[in-house]
Amino acid sequence: MSEQKTLLSRIATCDFILAETAMFLDTHPNCTEALGFYKKHLEMRKKAAEEYSEKFGMLRHEDYAGQTSWQWTEGPWPWEYEEV
Amino acid sequence: MWIYEKKLQHPVKIAKCDPAMAKIIITQLGGPDGELGASMRYLNQRYAMPNDKVKATLTDIGTEELAHMEMVASIVHQLTRNLSMSEIEKSGFAPYFVDHTVGIYPVDANGVPWTAATIQSTGDPIADLHEDMGAEQKARKTYDNILNLCDDPDVRDVIKFLREREIVHYQRFGESLEHILENLNSKNYYAFNPAFIPKK
Repeated sequence: MSEQKTLLSRIATCDFILAETAMFLDTHPNCTEALGFYKKHLEMRKKAAEEYSEKFGMLRHEDYAGQTSWQWTEGPWPWEYEEV
Repeated sequence: MWIYEKKLQHPVKIAKCDPAMAKIIITQLGGPDGELGASMRYLNQRYAMPNDKVKATLTDIGTEELAHMEMVASIVHQLTRNLSMSEIEKSGFAPYFVDHTVGIYPVDANGVPWTAATIQSTGDPIADLHEDMGAEQKARKTYDNILNLCDDPDVRDVIKFLREREIVHYQRFGESLEHILENLNSKNYYAFNPAFIPKK
């Protein structure tokens, strides 16, 4: 797997863990174990996303870091089938 | 994928309740030219677009429409706070009330539920972008009509903001259409669907 795909998959894994934990926290807002679990993966997510946007471009508008053109419009888009 | 941010794009703070106005404004949530339809139209049209700039434009505008849906719902919610039964009966809000109380449900001003039959996704970028420009104008028209019917400055402020956004989106869709036309294959003189060339 390319470095880009590895990083993206790490971000997606973190995001899923964060979404799942946030949902649990919605109904268990004082669970210290879940809060700690959320924080740990939030930090992992931030680190991975920072590295991704530095090397491969934007995942969201706010990842813009002063490049001379707006890379947001560059494909491929997530719904597109990629050969290999 | 999407993430939610816990704020409105433009603040909604309506001091005075007005269920009759709520019944009119809800059409911009669930009506034929409303924000729910706008969002569904643009986000579903993205897949057939052959051009990355246009994919980005539909993604960003479709996403903004989701935020507008929330703003229109917020207006309706605030306009229907603390109602007495006599206010509900006198204002013409009773038919909505009997089915939905003061919950938010996507209907037009006549109470007809939102339907995907009011939108299209043709798989043809030229047809879709023409529809999108039309849709922005139709939404702008609805906001104009609301402004003609509504005196409350708290409501007008939000409606004016939403109206402006229709104009900006219209502009961006116009540019997107030009972009598609400029990049047609030179053999495609009659502008056949550039997103679908049947396999020979």
